[in-house]
Amino acid sequence: MSDPLLDVKDLRVWFPIRRGVISRTVGHVRAVDGVSLSIGEGEVLGLVGESGCGKSTLARAILRLETPREGTIRYAGRDITQASGRQLADLRRHVQVVFQDPYASLNPRMTIMDIVTEGPLEHGLIPAREREQAAADILGDVGLGRDALHRYPHEFSGGQRQRIGIARALAMKPKLIICDEAVSALDVSVQAQVINLLSDLRASHGLSYLFITHDLSVVRYIADRVAVMYYGKIVETGPCETVMHNPSHDYTKKLLAAIPVPGRKRGELET
Amino acid sequence: MNASSGQSLWKAAGRTLWKRPLTRICLLIVVLYTGAALYGEAVYYWNRSQDTIPSYQHQDIDNRFQPPGAGHIMGTDALGRDVFQRLIQGTRIAFRVGLITSMIAIPLGVLLGCLAGYFGGRVDDVIVWLYSTFASIPGLLFILAIAMVVGKGLTGVYLGIGLTTWVSVCRLIRAEVMKHRDRPYVEAARVLGYRSPRIIFLHILPNVFHVIIIAFTLRFPASISTEVFMSFLGIGVQGEPSWGIMINSARLRLWQGVWWEMTFVTLAVFFVVLAFNLLGDALRDALDPRLRTGITD
Repeated sequence: MSDPLLDVKDLRVWFPIRRGVISRTVGHVRAVDGVSLSIGEGEVLGLVGESGCGKSTLARAILRLETPREGTIRYAGRDITQASGRQLADLRRHVQVVFQDPYASLNPRMTIMDIVTEGPLEHGLIPAREREQAAADILGDVGLGRDALHRYPHEFSGGQRQRIGIARALAMKPKLIICDEAVSALDVSVQAQVINLLSDLRASHGLSYLFITHDLSVVRYIADRVAVMYYGKIVETGPCETVMHNPSHDYTKKLLAAIPVPGRKRGELET
Repeated sequence: MNASSGQSLWKAAGRTLWKRPLTRICLLIVVLYTGAALYGEAVYYWNRSQDTIPSYQHQDIDNRFQPPGAGHIMGTDALGRDVFQRLIQGTRIAFRVGLITSMIAIPLGVLLGCLAGYFGGRVDDVIVWLYSTFASIPGLLFILAIAMVVGKGLTGVYLGIGLTTWVSVCRLIRAEVMKHRDRPYVEAARVLGYRSPRIIFLHILPNVFHVIIIAFTLRFPASISTEVFMSFLGIGVQGEPSWGIMINSARLRLWQGVWWEMTFVTLAVFFVVLAFNLLGDALRDALDPRLRTGITD
């Protein structure tokens, strides 16, 4: 394998705990504490772990919404840990995000066309006069009709909004999309549709995903490899099948045991 | 999902507003006052261009203290001037004060509130310090001080009220922007690589715009009341009819049974303040997402 698309080495993101009138730092929350992972071109890495284990903070650090305390993030061989200005703008094009909450992640005052095309227009990826066509094409890619263009987010259902969120990311023609609990807020039937859509887009657009979820049963449908995160550290990583069927770390075993399966008693492990 | 296509939240809010009869009455009152103010403005400028003494300044000592009747529907004052005409000029002054002070206070409050709310940290510290300092000075005292510096008259009123009332607008906007700053749609905008001014003014501001509208409808009558009070004290409008000046002169003869000037001016102030406040309430009900019930999914 050549250079991985994304290569995170020993990343730490700590939040200071401040107390008292002068905001003295009395300690740190080690949200991400020495995480290393890599994602190859066209690969899907599932990142699982319970709520509050640092998954989202890791995602936000890769997106440069948080500043890491230590460690490096390399994208396509370049160190982007301290990127700013042009380099950061370039990164913004190639790495996009789909958020968990389909209700809060779209600006309620903008039409779908504006939401989807503002990014590419700002970055000069499409000319202004082709805006409507470009928006219609992208919406077509995520399975929405042209009639959605001039509507507002509140007129759509959760699953449709998530498609719009995916379209917004896709419009930038990214290489890597970080899906932060992208299907967790949806009904199970809609989850399946959105996962299928993500799989199709991966094939047709040559995308890589960092697929973050607390739900192991979702990961097996989309991920090639799985990384298990626990208290800010990655405790186990490996091919999806291996981790699922032959977990080596105790925490992974517990996570797997927590998946409800019809007919299985509580606490019993899958064999 | 909504059946009609492309319905923005503004349109939905407009419809909610229009459904309430009380709101329509308030709107009608506001329109009537606006009409009176514009008419007063026209009379004022026409007289200035003709260089004549306007009818509301026309003194007629023989006809002083005329009760409301055929010639003067609201009677005459101590110098025989027509109360109705003066009332309309008072409306003109009141609306000028309401609009101009809002045009000073709101942009200032919105700009500083957005910066403090979005950037936080040091920027926030400085702006919070600034408005806390302003807020700690008793309002009227500050207005008096400014009026003393720039001289008595309308300019002093505009600056005095405008430079003190931005504080409440700033506070509201800051709190609202802070709420939106960490919402996923704003983070998505950052990931899409937009610059801060674009995010603040094109993404967040439309979402907090209802706060500005509500602040305006509540600031407007408050400014009018302050102007009336300043003019009553004699540091407001000079040489022109204002509601405050009229109340001040009317109080002297009230006990002698000259009730009309006081009554009509008070009613004029009462209705404009009431209408704007009720409208502000209705707007908040219609525009505030937390109180909105009609258009949830």
